[in-house]
Amino acid sequence: MPWGTLHRVSHGNILLDCDYSGRLMIKYIARRILQMIPVFIGVTIILFVLRSPGVVGGDPIRMITGERAISETLYNQLVERYGLDEPFYVQYATYLNDLVHGDLGQSYNKSRPVAEILWDKFPNTLRLALAAILIEMVFGIIAGIISAVKRYSFWDVLVTFSTSVLVSLPVFWLGMLLQILFGLKFKEWGLPYLPISGMSSERFPDIVHLIMPAITLASVSTAYAARIMRSQLLEVMGQDYMRTAAAKGLSHGMVIWNHGMKNAMIPVVTYFGLDFAAMMGGTVLTETVFNWPGIGYEIFLAIGQRDWPIVMGATIIIVFIVMAMNLIVDISYAFLDPRIRYGRQVA
Amino acid sequence: MRKKQPTGEQVAPVSGDATGAAAVASTEVLTGPARSLRADAIRRLKKNKLAVAGLVWIIIVILVAITADLWAPYWLGDPVAIDSTTAAERMLLSPSVDHPFGTDKLGRDVASRVVYGARVSLLVGVVAVAIAVAIGLLMGALAAYYGGIWDAIIMRTADVFFAFPYILFAIVLIALLGPGLQNVFIAIGVLGWPSIARVFRSSILSVKENEYVDAARAMGSSTRRILLRHIMPNAVAPIIVYATMSIGGAILTEAALSFLGMGVQPPDPSWGNMLDDARSFMLTAPWLMIYPGIAILTTVLAFVLLGDGLRDALDVKMKE
Amino acid sequence: MAPLLEVDDLHMHFFTRDGVVKACDGVSFTLEAGRTLGVVGESGSGKSVTAMTVMRLIPEPPGKVVSGDIRFKGESILSMSEKDQRKLRGNRIAMIFQDPMTSLNPVFRIGQQIAEPLRLHKDMSRTEAWAAAVELLDRVGIPQAEERARNYPHEFSGGMRQRAMIAMALACGPDILIADEPTTALDVTIQAQILELMQEIQQRTESAIIMITHDLGVVADMADHIMVMYAGKAVEYGPADEVFYNPLHPYTWGLLESLPRHDVDDKGALCPIKGQPPSLINLPPGCAFSPRCAYAKPECDKKVPPLVEIDNGHLSACLFAGDIDFICQYENRVKRGEDSGGDV
Repeated sequence: MPWGTLHRVSHGNILLDCDYSGRLMIKYIARRILQMIPVFIGVTIILFVLRSPGVVGGDPIRMITGERAISETLYNQLVERYGLDEPFYVQYATYLNDLVHGDLGQSYNKSRPVAEILWDKFPNTLRLALAAILIEMVFGIIAGIISAVKRYSFWDVLVTFSTSVLVSLPVFWLGMLLQILFGLKFKEWGLPYLPISGMSSERFPDIVHLIMPAITLASVSTAYAARIMRSQLLEVMGQDYMRTAAAKGLSHGMVIWNHGMKNAMIPVVTYFGLDFAAMMGGTVLTETVFNWPGIGYEIFLAIGQRDWPIVMGATIIIVFIVMAMNLIVDISYAFLDPRIRYGRQVA
Repeated sequence: MRKKQPTGEQVAPVSGDATGAAAVASTEVLTGPARSLRADAIRRLKKNKLAVAGLVWIIIVILVAITADLWAPYWLGDPVAIDSTTAAERMLLSPSVDHPFGTDKLGRDVASRVVYGARVSLLVGVVAVAIAVAIGLLMGALAAYYGGIWDAIIMRTADVFFAFPYILFAIVLIALLGPGLQNVFIAIGVLGWPSIARVFRSSILSVKENEYVDAARAMGSSTRRILLRHIMPNAVAPIIVYATMSIGGAILTEAALSFLGMGVQPPDPSWGNMLDDARSFMLTAPWLMIYPGIAILTTVLAFVLLGDGLRDALDVKMKE
Repeated sequence: MAPLLEVDDLHMHFFTRDGVVKACDGVSFTLEAGRTLGVVGESGSGKSVTAMTVMRLIPEPPGKVVSGDIRFKGESILSMSEKDQRKLRGNRIAMIFQDPMTSLNPVFRIGQQIAEPLRLHKDMSRTEAWAAAVELLDRVGIPQAEERARNYPHEFSGGMRQRAMIAMALACGPDILIADEPTTALDVTIQAQILELMQEIQQRTESAIIMITHDLGVVADMADHIMVMYAGKAVEYGPADEVFYNPLHPYTWGLLESLPRHDVDDKGALCPIKGQPPSLINLPPGCAFSPRCAYAKPECDKKVPPLVEIDNGHLSACLFAGDIDFICQYENRVKRGEDSGGDV
């Protein structure tokens, strides 16, 4: 998890708007989509520039051929084939056109379309990310609630400190520790052990293969989820409307559950959405440690083989997922929070 | 609510109880004169035992890294060079008095490599974050100061960066730039600025809205003076907190990149590439991965705890 | 028969790292059914803490009732089980808070929030409670109540939200309605409307009202009795007219002087009380008000003056409240104001 990904989760200032027809909702969604267009253009330009000649890495033909010496004729053929003699903007337009048509180019090494390769790997990454999100939701929310409700107690200190440890833990190291303990050592000691690599084998059901990679991938995010849950609930518990609820005669538990959770959960739910997208990119390390045949491991392998179309194609797919998730989160935010649903949010 | 207001007005014991009666108590109690903001912050930081422990550990790591040349090669052994005559008998020795953290597959002392790895990690943390802060402050200030089209361009650019999952973008950048420490600096620095710019921009904007800035403007202070005298001191606190935490993040990123073989290249030691080496000997020589991992964990944790402590002490509100 | 509410020498202290905050330090009063008590004081005087203690809304810790008792219809609230306390809260004793902007839950519809106490205490079904909530909204003067009940708080104006808060408090037909600065957060014109509504409620319902305010003017027309609080203690208590026209404590004088009054000429400048209320951790040994009191004498710093009856049912905690000459100083000053202004 990158640092400070949660910039999106804020209430912003809300202006009143009493016209509560569904039109506002549609307008809101339309505005969000419009706001995505410059981001989309920016992202594609960056990725396009990165694979263009003269920028980083230099010559794209060299990127293809690597260290091998090639004849000038072959070189020129390649330039022509990839349209590298065209002006910059034509190349960009071609690139965009290909993207829109789902054409991510051809893998250098596997002589298969990149889109096809990634399409094969995508369900594996999705499965891993879903398992991780599930772990994160259960443990993050429970730990956060305990920590907030029993503030300053032993449990609060424990949760706060262990979340600090988790965010400081290199995920790949955690993965290796799990492999040693539950995979190798448990096997050595004759205990039931877990598989340390791959996502299926004859010896284990698939779900058992999922356990350690999912825990590893979820570790940092769970810590963040717990922290957000805790701070949101604490903030909500200090609100006047909680006192109003208590003044109605609701019990402490009911006040927190009925009145607190709905308010506190709004940012937490949106966090899960954003984090799910972030996980798509964050799987490189976890998948590499566990040889999990997903998009992340594919990227790692492709970098080693200098198979740039795969790297770029996977990146752009992940970025699209992130952007789509942002949009979904914004829209669900509007459904969850009536202040945004009926009002105009001012940045 | 645990944090005190800088004015020193709020002393009430506020537990986060649902009834919120605490808020009443806090407004109903007045205490003595306000202490100076900085002294107050230092006093509060000192009270936070975890933050102090973090700071102490950071200082120890810095001292170890700076003085490494003076003792590590003599006490522990050369971190890089391989003595081919004795390498065979010194391979993969488990921890002992001679080699407190054991030796690696080429007979080098792991402790010595961990010590030299601290240099890399701290260097990456400080340099990369310095780059990110420099770009971020400039961009954030430009966006907040000029507003309008500049604001839009800069913040949309930041949005573009945010659309990339951080570690993935770092990996792709390094893949294209080529491996090596320098490119790690660049990647982390370039990827870090949007967060800093956002934090700085929003704190400038929020300070700008404060009444005392209006008052200063009404009294005819120049814009630059207002920016320097009134806005900067208030906007700096979140940056300090953010930068401290980012150093921890940068160390983790470097470790991840080196682990993937994209950061510091062997034979030079870095905690990340040591862990990469250790993968092949997970069962036979677990010390190879234990010590570099602990080094990363404790150092990053120290920065995180210090950052948390600074946040509380400076009363910075941050979204986690 | 026991009075509706008796507060008997109540001490509510907060135990903090910096010391013990004596937020409410020996407060006593009784409230009869259908009557209105005005509790007046600056912020920090302990008036809200007293009210919240009656509601049992103070978190413990850090708060703790050190001594004293609160009796509702003769039964001690403090020794009741938590469950029985909850049966009173929002049902027999209801509260209206200061800031209607933040006191309503932003993610629930207004109607749901008003219906909640009804569902809780009166065992109403969802539809019954909703219908009752709509009627309550209508009663507190919200137009198109049916439709408005479906709104969220942010779609209401400040005055409307306070009306909704009042409807919520009235939902179960409480015996006691505690209003904690119900108009402070509102615009002046809205304040008047809300006060009018409160008065209407006072006349129409059987509820006794405790009206907490820092503004004597607010309780002037409403209260039967007034209690003036300073630094956690009651400094003056008596029938409203007595306190208004024959005040017996220098602090009350100060409050009255800092009040723009229709019956005294405005040309005489308003006279605010100088200084700040004391820290409730380190109270001065004598009268807590003496450092700010224009009439203080050396004796004032020696011991805490007790609240004693000076006149029939009129109590004051000033050592000199029974001293005719002392009182005359104030009377004379007011007179001078009247002389220059000319009308009474």
